[in-house]
Amino acid sequence: MSDITTEATDLSTTVPREDPTPFGWLNTADHKRIGRLFIGTSLMFLGLGLILDLLVRLDLTDDSDFVALDADTFGQLFVFGRESLVFLFLIPVFLGLAIYLVPLQVGASNLAFPRAGAAAFWGWLVSAGVFVGAYAGNGGPYGGWDDGVDLYMLALGGMVVSLLIGYIAVATTVLTERSPGMFLDRAAPFAWSTLVTASMLVVSLPVLLGQLVILYVDHRYGHVFLGGNFGIWGRIDWVVKTPTMFIYLVPVLGVAAEVVIATARRRVLEPLAMYFTIGLVGLFGFGAWMNFSITNEGSDLGDGFEGVVLVALYGGAALGATALVALLGFALFQSRKSLKLGGLNTSVLGVLGAGKFVVAAALYGLLGAGVDWLEIAGRGNDGNPYLRDTTWATGQQSILIYGAGLLGLVAALHWWAPKIWGRTLNDLLGKLTLLLIAVGATLASLGPALSGLLYDQPDLAYLDPAQTSLYAEAVDGGGAEAMAWLGTAGLLVVIAGALLFMLNLVVSLVLRNGTKADSDPWDGAAPEWMLDSPPRPGILDALPDLDSGTPLLDMAEAGGDEQDAAEEVKV
Amino acid sequence: MTETTDVVALAPRPRSQFVATGFAVAAGSMMMAGAIGWYMARRHQVSSPGLHGNWVPEGVAIPTPQLDYALLTLLLSVVTAHWALYASRRSDRGNTWLAIATTIFLGLAFINMVMYSLNRMDLEIGSGEWANLAFAVTGLSLALAVVGLFYMGLMALRSLGGNMGRVGSAPLGAAVFFWDFVALAWAATWYAVYVVK
Repeated sequence: MSDITTEATDLSTTVPREDPTPFGWLNTADHKRIGRLFIGTSLMFLGLGLILDLLVRLDLTDDSDFVALDADTFGQLFVFGRESLVFLFLIPVFLGLAIYLVPLQVGASNLAFPRAGAAAFWGWLVSAGVFVGAYAGNGGPYGGWDDGVDLYMLALGGMVVSLLIGYIAVATTVLTERSPGMFLDRAAPFAWSTLVTASMLVVSLPVLLGQLVILYVDHRYGHVFLGGNFGIWGRIDWVVKTPTMFIYLVPVLGVAAEVVIATARRRVLEPLAMYFTIGLVGLFGFGAWMNFSITNEGSDLGDGFEGVVLVALYGGAALGATALVALLGFALFQSRKSLKLGGLNTSVLGVLGAGKFVVAAALYGLLGAGVDWLEIAGRGNDGNPYLRDTTWATGQQSILIYGAGLLGLVAALHWWAPKIWGRTLNDLLGKLTLLLIAVGATLASLGPALSGLLYDQPDLAYLDPAQTSLYAEAVDGGGAEAMAWLGTAGLLVVIAGALLFMLNLVVSLVLRNGTKADSDPWDGAAPEWMLDSPPRPGILDALPDLDSGTPLLDMAEAGGDEQDAAEEVKV
Repeated sequence: MTETTDVVALAPRPRSQFVATGFAVAAGSMMMAGAIGWYMARRHQVSSPGLHGNWVPEGVAIPTPQLDYALLTLLLSVVTAHWALYASRRSDRGNTWLAIATTIFLGLAFINMVMYSLNRMDLEIGSGEWANLAFAVTGLSLALAVVGLFYMGLMALRSLGGNMGRVGSAPLGAAVFFWDFVALAWAATWYAVYVVK
């Protein structure tokens, strides 16, 4: 620790003062409050996404007709559910975690642009409200209310802009607000993973904005060439499909690295490889997106080149994710003597499970891209649609959203709940949650994936869900129906896990039954564990002088008394 | 109040705004690339031999000279924006005032000229595929110009409020960087939609 003399008044100029009353939440510019707002709100939206997905899956369990929904309503709910899970839950919840944690991890007093962070939250929340309202009023793709369709596009654009502003604030914090001496390759893995995600989002989501503007103009003025509200989904579905979805889940890899390094009390064998593999998975998501979307409209890729690129990119993602999981697993293996079974808490088990699901998703992609490649090259089953346009895509989504995303989030919130809310979550309930979500995600993924792989489906089953009535004519009787039931049962188990997790949050945090946490309940390695749990709102007038993202581990390795050091900088 | 404690130096870091603007420029570039890419792909598809033939509807006269002058006006405003930054870095208040005012005036003139050109084309939005795509892509470019002008104006006020000199001019530098991008985005739009058509 170096002694630096500074003036406290300098600090007060960097961050606006916080109003400690509940009203202060409305005009807060404190990254900790903004992060908690994002996390809490997006967790509530998770319920909406799960219910919508359940309705759609239930309707597919009867291959003779739609069970309860007509074709247009089915199409609306299909799109609404997928977009809700991604734009109302997955992206914002990890953005919230990043907004809360990253400044603490890099030794900054706040986000680089705290007001931009607040604007991101409120902009996203208002847009999300309009988004839900547009669907509720029969808008959105396949909707019957023209103005509602326009409103939907404006709301989706608003959410994209807001989330981008939030991620840009986080990325700028990582790049420019790091403590002097902390180089990027020594930053906390979670901070690095959010930088990767932010960079990839900045170069991919804006394309959706451009597309929305064109779609809006055409829909609003004459329905000239894009097929009205039926032409929207097929052009923007890439944002909620693999491989783009890998970008949203890169923070899960950062969470995994944080938890494993702290639990093993050692660095991974080759730290640079860890940063590289996290970056590789994010880069893959962007690279494959370019292949899909830049070439989507009016392209002629029947020569199989598209298939080659996709196979290579999925292969790269699988390699990156596998290498990372191997590095982390080996670190735990090296520490096996000091690890007790009780040390394998919900967070450790959760990140190992989430990592496994990321690898599995990449392998799904590799298999799917391989089969599609054969199809493109004319060597597959004649007449079959590309797998990515069948319920196979739903299988990939399920394994990423529920397997990697939700499981990773459960692990992350169990790990950081003491820091964010000052109390630990119940570990037993947490492990039960993990079990339910892992089993449920596997089944929810296998059902639609196997259905797409084994049974003939119309290529519109995914690409144009309003045409899914053709599903009844095309699927091969009982087999596909059984697979649909398998996926639905899996989703019900996931919902049970999610409800249990919510119960845990309410009992431990809202009802305050969780154990009150001290500053470092896990023997953590990252800088945030040197601060009070939770750090008080507003500016921190004393921050640790950091040159690494794992200062507590550095001190332990140096033989120093880390507890004393932590107390020295406690605020 | 002065106290000694173990803290990192938290002096304002002017680089932050430049980096954030860089991210915004990357985002804007991809937005424009996606939209122009869509335009070019549809153009390729529709105007391929044996298909529909005419991409730009018959009877539509694109006012090329006016659009060329719009581009030149914007390029000129880039020069004046850099003049403003140069003057601000040298704490030359008078020249900074003059250059920023000229930049904003030229920016408004650019927007006015593009709007005039669109009116002159006598083309209704919603009248066809080319019209809708051209309006959408041009509209995106104009939206970027409006954002750029607002950003420039805001940073100019900060600069003229006393933030001058090499370090103090950093916010204005970020705004000028964004303005450079606005010009590049319009140049790409102009070339794709109104030159190549």
